[in-house]
Amino acid sequence: METVIQELTRGNATEVKVILASVVAALAVYQVALMAVGYGKVKPRFLGGRAASFAHRAIGDALVVIVVVVAVMCVSYFGIEDDAAVHSGAAVLLLVALAMKVGVVRGLPRLHRFLPVLGLTIWVLIGVVFATSAGDFLWSR
Amino acid sequence: MDARTYRRQLLGSLLVAAMIVVVAIVVVTAKLGPTSVVEEEARIERQELRIEQAEERQERRQELREDRRRTRSR
Repeated sequence: METVIQELTRGNATEVKVILASVVAALAVYQVALMAVGYGKVKPRFLGGRAASFAHRAIGDALVVIVVVVAVMCVSYFGIEDDAAVHSGAAVLLLVALAMKVGVVRGLPRLHRFLPVLGLTIWVLIGVVFATSAGDFLWSR
Repeated sequence: MDARTYRRQLLGSLLVAAMIVVVAIVVVTAKLGPTSVVEEEARIERQELRIEQAEERQERRQELREDRRRTRSR
């Protein structure tokens, strides 16, 4: 797996991972903004709740794929290091929260009232995972 | 809201997302610079090797000098 990642990224696994993680972090902020419109907390004239919610779902689907790709890259290329306990812990929680959210959205309509809490949890976890790895890497350069 | 407005708003939202992706990639790539970490590590390794070789040469020269001194003193 390590060789595949090296070949796919042409030896720039760290940079590709940092870029993908940054895209996820940036889109996570946009996702929160979209759902603020979707839930009617913010009512801009140029965007309706239904369009915002659908866009949130579409972008979210793409984000899940990117998050899984980054997680696979991270574990198979860098491994789990002892000094990255916060990063690893938050990443595991993020994957669990994402799985729960997808499960609730797709198959458990009676739990839809928990979606805002799940969404905000995912947003915070993305922030923690980003800040303890890619963010840290970017600041130090 | 009619279907046309809905489609336009949806497309606009997705376009904004695409723009965010592009901006994030451009900003982070600019921050990372043209040199990859692998290249940077290889450069540092080469530099360390050069310094090591220079130190070894200096040590050898020093030893030779000392040898010559010892031969002269005999």
